[in-house]
Amino acid sequence: MTSRREFLVLLATSTAAIATGKAMQVTSTDVDLSKYEWAMVVQVDKCTECVNKLLEKKGIKFDELSLDKQNELLRNLRPPCVEACDLANNVPRMPDNPRFDCYMIRIIAAKATEDASWRFFPLMCQECEHPACVEVCPTKASYKRPDGIVVVDLHRCIGCRYCMVACPYNARTFTFKDPLEDLKKINPEVPIRKDGVPMKCEFCRWLIDMERCEGVKNPKPVCVQVCPYNALVFGNLKDPNSEVSKIVRTSKVIRLRGGLGTDPKVFYHNL
Amino acid sequence: MVEFKKIDGRSNGYWLICGIFFALMIWGFYAWYLQLVYGHCVTGLSQRVPWGFGTAAICYTIGASAGSLIVSALSGVFGKTEFKFFSRSACVFALATIVAAMLSIMQDIGNPENALNVLMHYNPTSVFSWNSFLYSSYFVIGFVYLMAQFGEKYRITKALAVLAVAWAVLVHSGTGGIVGFVYSTDLYHSSLTIPMFIVSAIVSGLGLLIPIWLLTFKWTNRPLDRNLMWVLAKIMGALTILLLYCFAAEALDTAYIPGNAGAIHMALFDFRYPYAWDFWVIQVGGCLLTVLILLTPWGKTDWGMGIAGFIVAIAVYGERYSLITPGLGYPKDLVPGMIFRPFWIVPYYPSWVEYAEIIGLMSMACLVYCIGLKIFAILPERGEVEEE
Repeated sequence: MTSRREFLVLLATSTAAIATGKAMQVTSTDVDLSKYEWAMVVQVDKCTECVNKLLEKKGIKFDELSLDKQNELLRNLRPPCVEACDLANNVPRMPDNPRFDCYMIRIIAAKATEDASWRFFPLMCQECEHPACVEVCPTKASYKRPDGIVVVDLHRCIGCRYCMVACPYNARTFTFKDPLEDLKKINPEVPIRKDGVPMKCEFCRWLIDMERCEGVKNPKPVCVQVCPYNALVFGNLKDPNSEVSKIVRTSKVIRLRGGLGTDPKVFYHNL
Repeated sequence: MVEFKKIDGRSNGYWLICGIFFALMIWGFYAWYLQLVYGHCVTGLSQRVPWGFGTAAICYTIGASAGSLIVSALSGVFGKTEFKFFSRSACVFALATIVAAMLSIMQDIGNPENALNVLMHYNPTSVFSWNSFLYSSYFVIGFVYLMAQFGEKYRITKALAVLAVAWAVLVHSGTGGIVGFVYSTDLYHSSLTIPMFIVSAIVSGLGLLIPIWLLTFKWTNRPLDRNLMWVLAKIMGALTILLLYCFAAEALDTAYIPGNAGAIHMALFDFRYPYAWDFWVIQVGGCLLTVLILLTPWGKTDWGMGIAGFIVAIAVYGERYSLITPGLGYPKDLVPGMIFRPFWIVPYYPSWVEYAEIIGLMSMACLVYCIGLKIFAILPERGEVEEE
């Protein structure tokens, strides 16, 4: 039985907590995220090798395809990184309906001149240092965590799609209908989105946060884990000894649409 | 002294007009209901073109509202007392269209149940956030301005008219900034967008109000000074020419950058897609036709002015559409300086749901105007300047 004195103390502390907003704060036992600056290096030589092997298996010569066929092929191409990402992150894929097909990673083909050979690489959210999506979001539903990952708070998002329009990389897709209809498997670790909100790659933050809490030294997103060619290198840029830091420091890497000043955290090596 | 008087609103014609607007409004709300139930897949939008007819409707209705409020304030701000006849009705129309604009935002967003977050989590770097503050305050200022007019308080009305015009310009500048400040898309980023939005707002406001006033005065058997209408039509014509000049300047500015060649070619000259048709036929063609009509003697007649207004109102809608959609339909230059795939142009055609939604909202604005005529004294008994 609670005494009158205890009741009054409880009442006073509750009131003080609510008044100062403390009651609304979730006490975090997590480590300081600002120690990290997650980044990825895409080694385009290896990605190209992987995709070329896939095409070879199917007997397809990419160069000989018409523009429409090339587009269609890339839209439906599922190297291990894309396949694993779709499954792990509850991405509703609709290969028969490109208008509404959601994705987090896409495969892009590029070459410098007409007679050059195609180079293939994945394009995902570039986790920019100065993200256009965060800048334009009217509700701060898109925000940047202290570790640099750009996140969408689905409970706050109004679905205005301003972020999609502003993103220089078309990295976001929108759930035009209930995603549950197109999910073959559901990963319970990842929230299932409703219709009317955007989705994007978040470097599998659910996974790297979990692994970090479990004491894993180098947590990795799913695409990095499954890559058979070790083409994707993920790590902490603030750690000078991480592989990603070493590559960025010593190799010739580029960032897509660097001129815009968004400063992506995804670097492309040998593009 | 202008005598404002309510209309009787008992005739069959009045009820028929209200009935038609009501039916169209219900049709629009039914379309919205379908969108809420099935998601945005009932629209013509896609992953590449996530903004379309609905977003154009937002810009358009806000523009029409801002333009109407500026016209309403002609007498208060610029001392053109002869236009006081129209100040109340234009203000009511401005308020009705800003409500339509806010509803069109609700229709366009994918998660309307979270809409209040716009007010609760203000993001100072988002132009959309600025607008959430501007739109709501604009409605309040417009409403107070209307009340001051009802109270015949001259000084307050004049002060509020100045504030209302300044706010209308701000509101529509903010709307222009939503598109004009986006730097990721070749056809979007332009400093001309904001001033062009203001010009087209006044043009579309006048374009809608001129036929509405002509019909209102005719059907309520009230005399209307045709010279006043002609002055408004001439302002509309002059601003339409200015708008055409802005179109040319913006197109040339964009086309001058070699990297934009593909995008500008698609938007202006590739008739396999809807964008070039919209640009030349609706946007430029509509504006040119309006100017041509107003240059002929027929343009001075009721029919001439009314049709010219109606055409330019549609032309401005076409301008909003071509401002928003072609820039998204053309692929973003993901790997600058390289040939890349996938590379395809996405044509965007609005679905019937999107047409129904905007027609429903504009009908709602017109219905509010019709009901306003019956319950408020917003229409002058005589729309003629008395000889002194």
